[in-house]
Amino acid sequence: MPKINLKLLKKQAQREINRAGDLKFLNEIFKKYLGKRGELTLVLRSLERMPKAKRAKVGKEANELKTFLREKFEQKKFSFAKATEDKEEWIDVTRPGKKLTLGHLHPLTQVKRKVEEIFQAMGFSVVEGPEAENEWYNFDALNIPKDHPARDMWDTFYLKDGLLLRTHTTPVDARYMEKNNPPLRIITIGRCFRHEATDASHESNFYQIDGLMAGKDISVANFKAIIQEFFQRFFEKPVEIRMRPSYFPFTEPSFEVDMTCLVCGGKGCSACQQTGWMEMMGAGMMHPNVFKNSGLNPKNWQGFAFGMGLDRLTMMKYKINDIRLLYSGDLRFLKQF
Amino acid sequence: MVFSYNWLQSFFRKRLPAPEKLAELLELCAFEVEEVKRVGGDWLLDIDVLPNRAPDCFSHLGIARECAALTNSPIRKPSVSNGAGKFQTRDFVSVEVRDKDACPRYTAKVVTDVKVAPSPKWLKARLKSCGLRSINNVVDIANYVMLETGQPLHAFDSGKLAGNKIIVRFAKHNEKIVTLDEEKYDLDEDILVIADARSPVAIAGIKGGKLPEIDKKTKVVVLESASFNPRIIRKGSRKINLKTDASWRFEHGIDPNLTEFAINRAAFLIQKLAKGKVAKGLIDAYPNKVLPKRIKLDLDYTERLLGIKIPKREVIEILKSLEFKILNSKFNILTIEVPTFRLDLTIPEDLIEEVGRIYGYQNIRAVFPTVSLIPPKKNFSVFWEELTKNILKEAGFTEVYNYSYVSEEQIAIYQSNQHKSAVIELENPMSTEQRYLRPSLILNLLNNIQRNQRYTDEIKIFELGKIFRKTKNVEEAKQLTAAILGDEFYQLKGMVDLLLQKLGISNVWYDSYQSTPEDSKISMWHPKKCAEIKVDHEEIGFLGEISPKIIDHFKIDNRVVVFDIDFEKLQKLCSEETIYQPISKYPAAVRDLAVLVPRGTKVEEVLNKIEVAGGKLIRDVDLFDVYEGEELPEGKKNLAFHIIYQAENRTLASQEVDEIQNKIVKTLEQNPEWEVRK
Repeated sequence: MPKINLKLLKKQAQREINRAGDLKFLNEIFKKYLGKRGELTLVLRSLERMPKAKRAKVGKEANELKTFLREKFEQKKFSFAKATEDKEEWIDVTRPGKKLTLGHLHPLTQVKRKVEEIFQAMGFSVVEGPEAENEWYNFDALNIPKDHPARDMWDTFYLKDGLLLRTHTTPVDARYMEKNNPPLRIITIGRCFRHEATDASHESNFYQIDGLMAGKDISVANFKAIIQEFFQRFFEKPVEIRMRPSYFPFTEPSFEVDMTCLVCGGKGCSACQQTGWMEMMGAGMMHPNVFKNSGLNPKNWQGFAFGMGLDRLTMMKYKINDIRLLYSGDLRFLKQF
Repeated sequence: MVFSYNWLQSFFRKRLPAPEKLAELLELCAFEVEEVKRVGGDWLLDIDVLPNRAPDCFSHLGIARECAALTNSPIRKPSVSNGAGKFQTRDFVSVEVRDKDACPRYTAKVVTDVKVAPSPKWLKARLKSCGLRSINNVVDIANYVMLETGQPLHAFDSGKLAGNKIIVRFAKHNEKIVTLDEEKYDLDEDILVIADARSPVAIAGIKGGKLPEIDKKTKVVVLESASFNPRIIRKGSRKINLKTDASWRFEHGIDPNLTEFAINRAAFLIQKLAKGKVAKGLIDAYPNKVLPKRIKLDLDYTERLLGIKIPKREVIEILKSLEFKILNSKFNILTIEVPTFRLDLTIPEDLIEEVGRIYGYQNIRAVFPTVSLIPPKKNFSVFWEELTKNILKEAGFTEVYNYSYVSEEQIAIYQSNQHKSAVIELENPMSTEQRYLRPSLILNLLNNIQRNQRYTDEIKIFELGKIFRKTKNVEEAKQLTAAILGDEFYQLKGMVDLLLQKLGISNVWYDSYQSTPEDSKISMWHPKKCAEIKVDHEEIGFLGEISPKIIDHFKIDNRVVVFDIDFEKLQKLCSEETIYQPISKYPAAVRDLAVLVPRGTKVEEVLNKIEVAGGKLIRDVDLFDVYEGEELPEGKKNLAFHIIYQAENRTLASQEVDEIQNKIVKTLEQNPEWEVRK
């Protein structure tokens, strides 16, 4: 058994730690004293073979020394780290970060989600219907008879197979009512088509939001509340709406719905042609014939329906000035969203 | 239609609100006013009359009636003449209506001793404001009365009517007419005409003929004021492709009871402005007189539909201001008689709209509905669609929306001729660029790549939308298609794996596709670099490189890899279920293995051998390198795997792992062409 001189060991170790010039050397010193076969480690291991009285005394001293040396090592290590931090290492925080590539959702998708979320929160279910539609659902069921000038309100693409491309998403209301009894609340957002020349504000394919709420006593006043709430949540501004008379064969009464101009807040500006209002949607109380055509008794049910352009909402939200950008597939445009 | 403010004012003793103010009132309660323009001493209001109100409001009198209701002022009806001359109308002309359904009413009146001359200034000015050209006093008066009352009129020179006869009939096959503007039209049995004893003298309700034209020498004028079936006029006007102020009005329907008032008004003006003498009597072929409708209006329902209680007294006032008669108001259900000029009103809801708009929608307060708390139904189709889009976005793909149409040229690339029947053609496309409905999303995505490659070489895009194909019927289905620019088959394959994994779909595998000659859609793909994506035994789509011929055609400078998945199939396989797999407490051991195999060997073959030989202690085998290069023997490639061993119940001893690894090596080397590199 080696002769134990803890005091000497302490002095020696302390001196060596102080002299250590770098981290590598310091680690070696640590190994020499506190490593698996280090000098102090051996002392601690030999304790169990000592007589009881001596063991207690030496043991205490040795453990104290272990704690002391560990602390010294840590201090020294820290001083190294601090020195490097101070002297050598620095980064240019103004250099741009590494580019991570995330993809982008189309702005129409993002706005569609927002609209659906708001209406779902008010109890509306999201439903879908076909884009290639037949005359019955697109027109007749909606009280738009054949050979009637009202059909001229919708410029229609016809397919060689007898179907047509839906001119609005309102047919989905008729389809839904055929299979479901009121009370009901639905919203449908989908692609529609109009046979008209394309320009910055018109596209021959576009997206329409259509909503329907029907029950025993759903009224114009209810429509006003639901739609006002929708616009307030969508634009996150305290906007108001107003209704003006309009004509749609499938609603009676029918309205044109205006919203407080977002630019001037209703004072009148160039964006709203000084009126203080912006035209947002067409709406009305579902015509009894539509209930009838969908197999419901109009004596039992009443409700409102509305239709609004998703493209227009999207363009307003992001200040997009040309609808055609939405269908251009131009990544310089899409990557901004 | 453009309306003159002064003209509207002429119907009232009381002053109308100022033009701008009147426009605002009309806008809130009746029609949108596009523009208010000052012209000379007048203001012109461009009013968008709603199509259902064309019958009564495509006239100054009609708009004046709206103004009367909105301002609560009585209206003065224009003066008319009933004839006091010494002649009888029937002495000059007789009328025969051959089809009462096509022409429910025909009235004629004669004015003699007419002096055809230019119109007075005021008349010219009013016509001009409304966009009409002045011809002579008689023709101008006919037009003026149309603008005033909404009833189109026609004037014939009595001397030019063969046999002094007017016959309302359908044209005969091959009959022709030259109209007032010297255009020639071929007529047929679908077109209603006004004829004399010899030939057609006017296309009924559409345009007058040259033959009995009013000219300077005209002395006796036969006025026509008739009612025609809207559908027949609409059909005829479409057939000969001629739309006129008259045809537009007749298409929308006109009150048959208006003809008499209008013809008397015109006679009065001719007498006044062209010194004519109005003959006595009116020829009036009107077998089935249209009577005013009666509609019952339930005030409780009115309140329930509008969501506001309007006092009975006020409802009655509104209805009266619109010239409706209240036949019974004792109870809460009113009986209303609606004037025949209001062709748009047939059901109680129509009356409720009248009450609502005149009362003012702005006076209806917003009230949230009181309804049962039925939560919205979850729409899984939409849910999976949105989740799919999110996954692709998070993996770096950008979403595009393309047109639903494709061009003739694109279709030609997509399909060989014998398959053209499977695509859907538009009856009336805007252009040949948009002649077909898209049978695939790939075509437009290739266009996107072509256009974007100028700006960037990193293109990863996708679209989720409807495609259209013809089977027995028109079949439309949601499709999910993504494209990547560059030789990136394995990146896109990784994308498909990730997507399906995130959608909760396992058992995905890829089958190399053997194209058959008749399967033309596959010709889009590179024949050697295309796989079917399969889940269990079902094919859900394709993954592969687009054929270089097509890439070349689209003028794309690099390779393009695409996956094209049937979303309808995909969404049925999706699942939100995830079950936690306990993490082993025992460490895993990793051994590497490199095998030299012929170039044509599929990785899957090697993997299968490793897995079978290794047994259940293999947790994962990971291919980390594929190398083909000069240092290797000709026709060989090197596959390098990490094999991860782990047991669930103990730490594996290295000896045990070595034994399995050796077994794997032996198994692989049973194939004489494979060599495990040590």
